Amino acid sequence: MGPNKFIQNVKEYLNLEDFEKKTKKKAVKSLLKKLRTKRKKIKNELKETKEKLKKKELNEELDIIALQIKKGKKILKDLLS
Amino acid sequence: MIKNILLPLILGVLSYGFWISPNFKDIAAGIAIFLFGMLFLEEGFKKFSGGILETVLQKSTDNLYKSLSFGVITTSIMQSSSLVSVLSISFLGAGLISLTQGIGIIFGANLGTTTGAWLVAGLGLKVNIASYAMPMLVFGIVFILQKRHALKGIGYILAGLGFLFLGIHYMKEGFEAFRDTIDLASLSIEGIKGLFIFAAIGIVATVIMQSSHATLVLIITALSAQQISYENALALAIGANVGTTITAILGAMSSNVDGKRLAGAHLIFNLVTGLIALFLIHQLIISVEYIASFVGIANDDYTLKLALFHTIFNLIGIVVMIPFIDHLVRYLQTYIKEEAQGVEELKPLKASFLNESVLEFPTTAMSALYQESFALYQRIFEILSQGLGVSPKSVNSANSLDEVLQKEYSNKNFDIDTIYTLEVKGIYGEILDFATKAQGSFSEKNIEELYKLKVANRALVETIKDMKHLQKNLKRYKHHKNTYIQKEYNTIRKNIVQLLRDVNTIASTPEEETIITLLSKARIHAQQNDLLANGVLDELIRNHLISNEMATSLMNDSTYAYNICKNLITMSEILFLPKTGDSSKIENEIIVNEDDIAELLKVQKESNNGTK
Repeated sequence: MGPNKFIQNVKEYLNLEDFEKKTKKKAVKSLLKKLRTKRKKIKNELKETKEKLKKKELNEELDIIALQIKKGKKILKDLLS
Repeated sequence: MIKNILLPLILGVLSYGFWISPNFKDIAAGIAIFLFGMLFLEEGFKKFSGGILETVLQKSTDNLYKSLSFGVITTSIMQSSSLVSVLSISFLGAGLISLTQGIGIIFGANLGTTTGAWLVAGLGLKVNIASYAMPMLVFGIVFILQKRHALKGIGYILAGLGFLFLGIHYMKEGFEAFRDTIDLASLSIEGIKGLFIFAAIGIVATVIMQSSHATLVLIITALSAQQISYENALALAIGANVGTTITAILGAMSSNVDGKRLAGAHLIFNLVTGLIALFLIHQLIISVEYIASFVGIANDDYTLKLALFHTIFNLIGIVVMIPFIDHLVRYLQTYIKEEAQGVEELKPLKASFLNESVLEFPTTAMSALYQESFALYQRIFEILSQGLGVSPKSVNSANSLDEVLQKEYSNKNFDIDTIYTLEVKGIYGEILDFATKAQGSFSEKNIEELYKLKVANRALVETIKDMKHLQKNLKRYKHHKNTYIQKEYNTIRKNIVQLLRDVNTIASTPEEETIITLLSKARIHAQQNDLLANGVLDELIRNHLISNEMATSLMNDSTYAYNICKNLITMSEILFLPKTGDSSKIENEIIVNEDDIAELLKVQKESNNGTK
């Protein structure tokens, strides 16, 4: 472990940098990343699908993920402000 | 009956002893203080068991040798094989470790407990430990009065050690004073007869005190005061080793079948070890002499030799038993079975993971509750599938929903009321009872989680009640000649099957993004499919497509279906969302809420109108 990482860990341990807020930010960012990857995957699947019903399902999932990403971004914005 | 006689008998013997001998009073008080110290020590370690102990146990017992080492180390530190045994039984009962791992821990705990004899014989009798006891007690009590959990734990451990030391001191004093008045050594019995009689005394003493540690300290102090002979002390130690299994047996009584098997393994191990020690006593004494001279134990230091003997015979037990562990597991699985239920004498099912001995360990108790709730969900999933007239297997298959619904499934014995009474009601009651009892030892955060778990289970049980009502008309209308009502009832079936499928995916996937997307989808669908809100019912009535009786049924059943979906979603959000750290809170914030759904449905409606 380098000195910077050590200092960071001590700061986190002593709750010097609003540790809770930071953890929450980290969790939101990670979830947003996963949601974006999922969106990309569904978009690719949508391109290859010809079945009407399946297309409808995938579009619905895309709408939901878009809404979730929007909500996640808002939470992140509130945490950063 | 025996219990009723035993207690007055013990009290009578003690009172008589106190009356005739003040030294006996000292020894008995020493034992009492020692046992009190053990209680404090266990309490102290339990304060830390909310995290450290259980996490270590879960992570460091994934193979037999790790389990053995864990048993040796933890018992050496905590000086209580009983605590480790009961904890292992609880973990096994909660399904967190396998029977082989549990046996490994118990074997290790047997070896670990021998360190106690070394400490008492090596330090306890040679150093004036009572002088350390007083400051430990004072500091211990000061810490116990603190609010912080960790400080309280340290306080209990310090006070526990203080009482242990004080107890040893009193026992030592009592035996030394005894030596001046009565020579108990004159009661010693030589030969094989003495061996078996003193082993039996050791068993009885340990069963009464429920602590082999206390019996061993008593033996060591008596031996150091030359009140018992060395050979008789060895026999007592063997007896104490067998008698200690009583704690595990008592702990297993409220456990499930695996817990009983582990207690059985403990008894078999200690009996086999005891018998080996009794039959090879002369060879063992020679080995002890040889090793003692090799490691520098004085020729007349019988207390240390006793400690060495205790370690050697437990070690031999482990070496002898390890190759037979798989056989032992098979034997226990064959002879200790779950109570079979005949068709004629159906009894309500019992919870599999809830064992009252884990109530004092919050993390384990919580895991047990989650496991039991999950098992209940699996059973209710099957009941709901059958209620919908589809096979539980096909719900989880890759077949399309239409294919699943078309494949007719009927179980002649399926009676939702009987199934609820036999397979759900009792377990649900046990979950509630266990959760309520657990509340006492839980922190505020855990109590909140516990409350949510109760809500999840209630939601699960409510689905059965709603299915009971829904099922009647489902059967009636799913093949009805009126195609409109038939279509609506089959749509209800399809929607619930879809949700069951999604909930199963949620329960089995580790991907949080999939979990929250499916939960959002489920919430939206529940709202969209509500016939009362989406206008379908109004349209059917307005156009006279269904009779008034059908409309009333559909209206009621739509409410039941909506409640089933709502309750399944509530349960999934509690049981299957990750429970660590902040992530579950964030996921709850990101999943679409009622406002989002209203907005979404409004946009959909507008776009549909535009298309028209």
